[in-house]
Amino acid sequence: MSNVRLTLERRQRISTLRSTTTYTLGLLIGLACGLLVLLAAGAPASTLLNDLVIQVFFSAMGLAQTLTLAVPLILVGLSATAAMRLRFWNVGIEGQLWLGAIGATLVAINDVGSDSLRLPTMLIMSAIAGAAWIAVPLILKLKAGVNELVVTLLLSNVAYLLLQHLLFGAWKDPVNSFPVSPRYGDNEQLASLGFGNLHSGIYIALGITLLMAILVQKSRTGFYIDVIGHNRPTALATGIPVTATITLMILLSGALAGLAGGLIVTGVEHRLTQTIGINTTFSGIVIAFIARFNPLAVLPTAIVLAGIYNAGGTLKVFYGIPDAIVVLIQGIVLLTLLMIQFFRSYRVSLLRPSIKQPT
Amino acid sequence: MEQFITSWLGSTPAFAIPLALASMGLVLCERAGVLNMGAEGYMALGAMTAAVLTLTLGNPAIGIICAVLAGAALALLFGFAVVIMRCEQILAGLATMAVGLGIAGVVGRPYVHKSFAGLQPLDLPVLDRIPLIGRLVFNQDILVYLTVLIGVALWLLLERTRAGLKIRAVGEDPASADVAGVQVQVQQLVAITASGALCGLAGAYLSVASSSIWVENMVAGRGWIALALVVFARWDPLKALAGAFLFGAIEALLPRLQAIGVPAPTYLMNMLPYLFTIAVLLVAAWSGSKKGMAPAALGKPYVRQDRH
Repeated sequence: MSNVRLTLERRQRISTLRSTTTYTLGLLIGLACGLLVLLAAGAPASTLLNDLVIQVFFSAMGLAQTLTLAVPLILVGLSATAAMRLRFWNVGIEGQLWLGAIGATLVAINDVGSDSLRLPTMLIMSAIAGAAWIAVPLILKLKAGVNELVVTLLLSNVAYLLLQHLLFGAWKDPVNSFPVSPRYGDNEQLASLGFGNLHSGIYIALGITLLMAILVQKSRTGFYIDVIGHNRPTALATGIPVTATITLMILLSGALAGLAGGLIVTGVEHRLTQTIGINTTFSGIVIAFIARFNPLAVLPTAIVLAGIYNAGGTLKVFYGIPDAIVVLIQGIVLLTLLMIQFFRSYRVSLLRPSIKQPT
Repeated sequence: MEQFITSWLGSTPAFAIPLALASMGLVLCERAGVLNMGAEGYMALGAMTAAVLTLTLGNPAIGIICAVLAGAALALLFGFAVVIMRCEQILAGLATMAVGLGIAGVVGRPYVHKSFAGLQPLDLPVLDRIPLIGRLVFNQDILVYLTVLIGVALWLLLERTRAGLKIRAVGEDPASADVAGVQVQVQQLVAITASGALCGLAGAYLSVASSSIWVENMVAGRGWIALALVVFARWDPLKALAGAFLFGAIEALLPRLQAIGVPAPTYLMNMLPYLFTIAVLLVAAWSGSKKGMAPAALGKPYVRQDRH
């Protein structure tokens, strides 16, 4: 018996069936654990289906709120997808989002450009600001080999301090006791669709998802991304423009996060506040991972997560369950999906002695 | 002026200790080759556990011990995911961070904003009146002295003992360590659990020692600063301790300046530690010295059959 031991072996070929089964099982187990946590936290089982599904997806007001919440989530999900496909760790999505919101507000406060073009200018500025913020870790990585993980993280903190510096200082609304910027003018707000708080930003999010899908799955750049993401030495050896592709995609990642900030301030808040975008780095990464870095799958994933956030609001109001539960559920689902990949990637076998003992 | 410096230095540990404990834990973990992004979550769980137990039992010591255990337990979950199940370390770390923040928020909800009698400073008469450093050195609670001790012990462990050599070997080259008979998985699990325990203690310090209250988001990004401090300190526990005091001194300076009426751009000045860390990263990358580099196998899951 002592000669028998467990060994771990990396599977050389992974069948689609195995991939799909493990992924589906992981998602189901994760969601089941999330439900158990909800029940343990005091959500009544009898109304759970109603609170979690019917209210947030199948009632008019609930669906409107879910889609409103989904707009920035779609964009940060795409932002994380763009970076993670190249194995670039953008853990500063929040920072780029805040810079985007600051960029849009900068245009609004200084009345840049003509009144009719103000809104597009604000949105473009938000994307540029987000891209500029990620350009710092990108340049440090490409030119000096500095790890992007820590720099994106640190710059997020810097961005939040900049946001507070502006809101408690130069940009503080004189007629408001809270640290918020003055309210934008009518020409500086996205059009309301007359469906709850939903604004025309949803069309922008949908259009960008489609463009991202084409870029990643149909274009030559998409092919480059795949090669670089899977095997960088091969990409370099075959003459694929590695630096240019990385630069393009990482700037895009920052721009998408910045635009998410721009859409929140022009679509929902109508002013700069310090409460936007909290936890979006983690949510973006969770969405991208659950969507298996596929832009088209980001869309439903972000909408479902927005529904959970929306339901979290209801649970808080009616049953006093803190909204931290939504973060907890995301953590559980991500952890389960990660752990189940063990059964996808490895084979565990009992190793018996190859020579039989004479009997 | 003298009084200003005395009170400034005296309030520095309140900011420095949580950073020091967490970053020293992360140094240990990263030296064993495991990149641990969960610190923020372990700290939140530790802060909540310590506060809730101190509130209900009235005994900060029990609260602090349980916070250490809670941090270690959550880290063990992370360890199981990355060491046994070979999960991607960054994502598994972020997931455990979310689990820690989530549990702290949900369980701690009924105890928010309730103040309690926390850990008191040791009362050393006369000595704390020594000018400038009196309050810094002689008017602190026991955790401050413990933190310095832990720092020295950790440095001795890593640099001067066989056990430390094994941990470092696993972080640099797990395949060779494995061949030499070191149990890679055991070393990593121990290092990860210890880092969670230290982060739990860091959280307990926040709630029970420095503020005597628990509020949600109490950790407020300190786990991330601790992670950056590890790089800032070039993976050396004593430098992490020193770095934490440097960062703590900058943080402690601002409320002092405001107290004596000096107008300071608070938020801009608070950016300094982050910008300074980025500058240090850049200088380290440019100088290209091999000393003080990240452990070679940091972040890579180890499977015996893989070619390395």
